[in-house]
Amino acid sequence: MSVRRDEPAPENATAPVAGPYDEMLTPDGQVRPHYAALDARLATLTPDELAERQRTQERFFLLQGITFTVYGAESTTERIIPSDILPRIIAGAEWARIEAGLAQRLRALNMFLADIYSEQQILMDGVVPRELVLNAPSYRREMQNLYVPHKAYANVCGSDLIRQENGEFAVLEDNLRVPSGVSYMLANREASRRVFPGTFRSAGVRSIDRYPDLLLATLKSMAADWRPNPQVVVLTPGVYNSAYYEHAYLARLMGVPLVEGRDLVVHDNMVYMRTTTGLRRIDVIYRRVDDDFIDPLTFRRDSSLGAAGLFNAYRAGNVVICNAPGTGVADDKAVYAYVPEMIRYYLGEDAILPNIETYLCREKAQLSHVLANLDKLVVKAVGASGGYGMLVGPHSTKAQQAEFAEALKADPDNYIAQPTIQLSTAPCLIDHAVEPRHVDLRPFILSGEKIVVTPGALTRVALKKGSLVVNSSQGGGSKDTWVLSDTKGDRS
Amino acid sequence: MLARVADSLYWIGRYVERAEHMCRLSDVMLSATLDRSEAATQVARIALAAVGDPDVAKAKSPYEAALALTLDKEDDGSILCSISRARENARQVRDQITTETWERLNLIYLRMTDPNAGRSFADGSQLFLHDTIADLHLFKGAGDATMSHGEGWSFLLLGVYLERAQLIGSLLEVAFGETRRRRPLGDHFALTSVLRMGCALEPYLRVYTAEMRPRYILQFLLLDEDFPRSIRFCAQEIEGHLSAIIRHAGLAGSVGPDRLAGRLRARMQYADLDEIEAGGASAFLKTVLDECAAIHRSLYDTFVAYPLEDRLPA
Repeated sequence: MSVRRDEPAPENATAPVAGPYDEMLTPDGQVRPHYAALDARLATLTPDELAERQRTQERFFLLQGITFTVYGAESTTERIIPSDILPRIIAGAEWARIEAGLAQRLRALNMFLADIYSEQQILMDGVVPRELVLNAPSYRREMQNLYVPHKAYANVCGSDLIRQENGEFAVLEDNLRVPSGVSYMLANREASRRVFPGTFRSAGVRSIDRYPDLLLATLKSMAADWRPNPQVVVLTPGVYNSAYYEHAYLARLMGVPLVEGRDLVVHDNMVYMRTTTGLRRIDVIYRRVDDDFIDPLTFRRDSSLGAAGLFNAYRAGNVVICNAPGTGVADDKAVYAYVPEMIRYYLGEDAILPNIETYLCREKAQLSHVLANLDKLVVKAVGASGGYGMLVGPHSTKAQQAEFAEALKADPDNYIAQPTIQLSTAPCLIDHAVEPRHVDLRPFILSGEKIVVTPGALTRVALKKGSLVVNSSQGGGSKDTWVLSDTKGDRS
Repeated sequence: MLARVADSLYWIGRYVERAEHMCRLSDVMLSATLDRSEAATQVARIALAAVGDPDVAKAKSPYEAALALTLDKEDDGSILCSISRARENARQVRDQITTETWERLNLIYLRMTDPNAGRSFADGSQLFLHDTIADLHLFKGAGDATMSHGEGWSFLLLGVYLERAQLIGSLLEVAFGETRRRRPLGDHFALTSVLRMGCALEPYLRVYTAEMRPRYILQFLLLDEDFPRSIRFCAQEIEGHLSAIIRHAGLAGSVGPDRLAGRLRARMQYADLDEIEAGGASAFLKTVLDECAAIHRSLYDTFVAYPLEDRLPA
């Protein structure tokens, strides 16, 4: 079957309209070189054959239990997150740039965290406004002057990249708290290897299989200076968490225990888990529980997801919590605007991956610009995530805009705005036909003793036609991402 | 191994075994009542009583009873409920069981919770039950072939064999216990059905030939050394897995579940059927069931819900 081309521009269009970048096709409809093999394979498959493969893939996810739970009034059901069988492909040279950009960025973000939780030089030098950092709810006073090995605060980072209309990748968001999605990256890979084995082999796709052992090595490196062979565990909020599958998956592939708060005991500033043979000491906790919930004595008192006394054990240096509490201050949507400055400040380099232009509503001049352009901009609440608390200007009603205008004026500090970016599109299988849908890119970066970028990513897809929201909570799906090992097929 | 994980594995074993046994009871009940004889109604009554359902009136409509027993979401004792709980426990220890094992259990769960499950059952209830039993065997087989036979595996099998011993014990009590039955069960068809409920017919025939006698059946399901569903066999397995766990935990020598398991195993190994009959099968079965319950409690006290003060580092 053939790939449906986007509709041609209207005949009377004189200047090229800034349409979305198509991952597969050039503006004149040619298949980009790194997509050639997939295109050739698609040409040999009928729509029914493709649909059959899609069904096989869904069956695979269901059988593996890669599901999230939907709680309804009547009954509880489990659904799979839709996974599209057509891989998104990234050329080797392009990836090299992304990889360098991501490593640079995380290095600077870790230095920023180490700085604001100790000397606060960057605040004294006025590069980042002091009150922006210290007043952020994600800033954790408790972390001040606490020793973090290798100054690696964000051990696992999942950054959201998007490709702009001009074909350039830019960073939309840094996720430094408890980023999720890596199990989908790995599961999508397992599935797509089955769907397109021949194409996969001949394309020279870079392997992502080592992610679990690289993650384990990263976590172990956090305790290496005081324990030769540290006991690592994954801390999950439990089976009812929507990312539970991922927690269990990572624990299984790393070969370490998956613990819940109720399995932990803190005694004399040491952390133990209850085993059948008594208490066993824990050295490194890869926690998939938010800051607020890890220790009811230090943070939220009503939390039962963590362990009482855990933070004190951490302060005493008897256990390492990964990611460190308080990393959220560096992925705050307002602090985000200053990341290119940080890179210059700490590393003396220009950012390899640009930011999306961001208006901070806390600045008077920028606020009035935002208010005047609500119909064109995307407005985001600083504290919210998951696509909530967001106004997408061009897709909004006058009433919604008026509502946001009020909210902005009432609490300008809480909002930022960005131009509406047409996320790039990639071919997806929609009802027996291949159609373009908007996608983003979430690669995963590890940092412990050193920084490692896995050559792959989770590509999230806005399955609804024309939609720009890729979050799984709002009708998004995902697909495998092939990073090619050679440099041929570089973007031209 | 985490105490919580051991607990979950143990319950997976129990629920899976329970589901399998219930499938078999339903299956025997359905096939028995295909012909409308007095013996058939008696078999249905035995099956329902073994399930723990006191409402003997249901024996008159065995299909409805089997349907409810299989797919009733509200009934804690239904097969669907056991499977759901086994799977829920498996999900909580998903990192501890192999993908092959998980897939088998998840498959059964998906079939039983499918919106069309009711129709599949109506289309061929015995086939449905038969497939479920076969899939449960595949689950155990996949676990046996792919999981490490270490501590976790021992906890799972402890659950299986404790549950099995208790289920077979209840079945024997219903069929042969003098507290329930004024007149001994003598009908050939009913006796065969009891053996079927214990999945014991073919192995029994090989030992005792087609001669059906309550005494032989009791002997076989209580005291046979090699048959995997006899209570003696279960007791051997319980003792074996417990001592493996204790060895692993370095708790050897302390009294607790191992003492209880050893006593049960010895009781079964050296039992004499004449003595049992002299004292009454019911009394003997009661002792056995009580000892199983005591082993269960002792397991908890030793490995799962132990007091923390005893285990804190000095």
